[in-house]
Amino acid sequence: MSVQSPFIRIGSRSSAMAAWAMLALLVPCSIYSALYDSTFVWRLIGYALLGMMAETVYTLIVKRKRRLVCMGSGFTAALIAASVPPTMPFLPMLFSILIAVWIVKLPMVGSPLRFNAAMVGRLFLMLVYPAQTVNWGTPTVDVISTATPQELYRSEGFPLEWSEWLFSKIDGTWEGLFLLVPGSPGETFPLLILLLGGLLCWKGIIGWRIPLFFLLSFSITSAVFGNSLLFNLLSAAILFSAVFIVADPVSTPMSKSGQMICGLIIGISNALIREFTFYTEAIVYAVLLGNLCAPLLDHLAFEVRGKQLQRRMRQSARD
Amino acid sequence: MLRTIKIDWKIPADFRTLETPFPRPERIYSGIDEIDPKTFPAFLDEIGLIGMGGGGFPASEKLWANRHSHTLVINGVECEPGSSIDKSVLLNDSLWVAAGAAACAKVVGATKVILAVQHNPEFVAEVNKLYSEFEILSFPDKYPAGAEKLILKRLTGKCPPPGSRPYEFGFLIQNVVSLRAVGRAIVDGIPVVERPLTLAMPSTGFYKNIIVPVGISVSELLDLYKLPYDSGIHLISDSGIMMGKEISKSSTIEKTTISIFILKRDVAFREERPCTRCGVCNTACPLGLHPFTLTEKIRKGKTGGNAFKGQMSECFLCGVCSAVCPSGIPLVQTLEKGKQCL
Repeated sequence: MSVQSPFIRIGSRSSAMAAWAMLALLVPCSIYSALYDSTFVWRLIGYALLGMMAETVYTLIVKRKRRLVCMGSGFTAALIAASVPPTMPFLPMLFSILIAVWIVKLPMVGSPLRFNAAMVGRLFLMLVYPAQTVNWGTPTVDVISTATPQELYRSEGFPLEWSEWLFSKIDGTWEGLFLLVPGSPGETFPLLILLLGGLLCWKGIIGWRIPLFFLLSFSITSAVFGNSLLFNLLSAAILFSAVFIVADPVSTPMSKSGQMICGLIIGISNALIREFTFYTEAIVYAVLLGNLCAPLLDHLAFEVRGKQLQRRMRQSARD
Repeated sequence: MLRTIKIDWKIPADFRTLETPFPRPERIYSGIDEIDPKTFPAFLDEIGLIGMGGGGFPASEKLWANRHSHTLVINGVECEPGSSIDKSVLLNDSLWVAAGAAACAKVVGATKVILAVQHNPEFVAEVNKLYSEFEILSFPDKYPAGAEKLILKRLTGKCPPPGSRPYEFGFLIQNVVSLRAVGRAIVDGIPVVERPLTLAMPSTGFYKNIIVPVGISVSELLDLYKLPYDSGIHLISDSGIMMGKEISKSSTIEKTTISIFILKRDVAFREERPCTRCGVCNTACPLGLHPFTLTEKIRKGKTGGNAFKGQMSECFLCGVCSAVCPSGIPLVQTLEKGKQCL
């Protein structure tokens, strides 16, 4: 057992990072489950186990190694399950998990360009099973309608003042149906998610740069187009994706400046897509666009920093 | 960004004590009274002084290169977690440190002496009493605050360019232990034959600041304090947890040995996993470099670019990137290899 300096470890280890994120994700999901759909959390855990099994099979076949606990893939699967309506049938979920784990997540390990596996899985669902993906239920009181009803809001006009979104229960058509903000299971409790995001940042699991710049640029761009800022920020998947999807350390740039710019790109493009296209919620496309830029941003950050240091070196040589 | 590095040792570093378990060396020549800038570097060579903060650079050459400095900085910022020998020397051997500092300041013509210490209220209060003639500058208790480059950054207000030395800015930065050795030679006429160091074995709660003769072996030290060392379970780390290297029981104490830590092997062991590209090394780097991109380039042999050279020469191998890596990748070892590509 050879040991090299430094003889100390700081912060979390990579094996535990996904487990912490998974625990954080389970908090809003289990509250949702307790309130509206008691079987949902068990299905979520089942999907996570499915994702883990998919990774185990992959490592067994491709790398000829046995690994039983594969939290990363489990977390990916759980993210997919938490970001689509709970009415999603099993077969599409299975397909999307397999695509996310076998095609996107595992073969791309170590390459500079990586995509957020959960988002690719969700993209697959959106493209192949569009009807189930937007099946938010009908807005009547005897149906528990779930997941982002952005489309309905758009057609009806925004029914609420922003202060009501923050501090009171939702009235009107949605009365009694939702605790705070309607949405897919993961994104129902925005303030709770924000709190969890802070906790994850403090534990060092996610960085604060991408989420912060994402939220800032998103809200500024929305405000420029004259939309209600807090409505856009608190409704739909913005906070959920800021904490669990955009902050994903694997598929976003490694450099600090790269992370900031990536956050800006995702936020601005998301607001633009919301404003100008018929998509009401386009976090998938925005995140994948940000992932595409990641290698370029990393390369640029490295070159710029190196050139800066070189210039300083030459200056001091001249003096 | 500087990092606070916590260690889970039961007995914290006690900087008030400094023990001398071995017999003190005897005076072999009379001390000097008059300090002549022309002959002083030769005197330093005669007593065999090298940079005792770990650098090991010959002190006479450093002093000669610094002969037009306006400020002498006493570097007592000891950021290696767990070691407190600089503090201990500052408090216990203040006479020698002050004498050495005065001599060095006179030789280089420095008009101002700054004492850089780690921020610790009790310690700073005591230092204020002992060194009232010096200006005291306190640094955060974080790693690697004591690096020459970062002290210089604090003093000049901007980060010094890669490859530059403090004398280009008119600063002479000397380690506390080096100054103690100078003072010892001037006042008592004893050359550099002793080395203050921190000896610690956290698993048994043993922690001491001691002065040992240069050249004795580590096993003699272990026998003296009857430390239960087993090469299968423990490892001996020379000069700190962060930048130290593993040495064997038969190695000797050098002039540059800051500390001897006997650590448990399984605590220090890291299993290397594939990189998840989380970027923690980038965020942790105190100089804002890109350690992982650098190591990737070194592994692929793409070491020609200007950007690579600029970043590589800035790095001073502090080891923070290795310590924070969640996947246990030995980044700092690869960067050491990269230093040779320059």
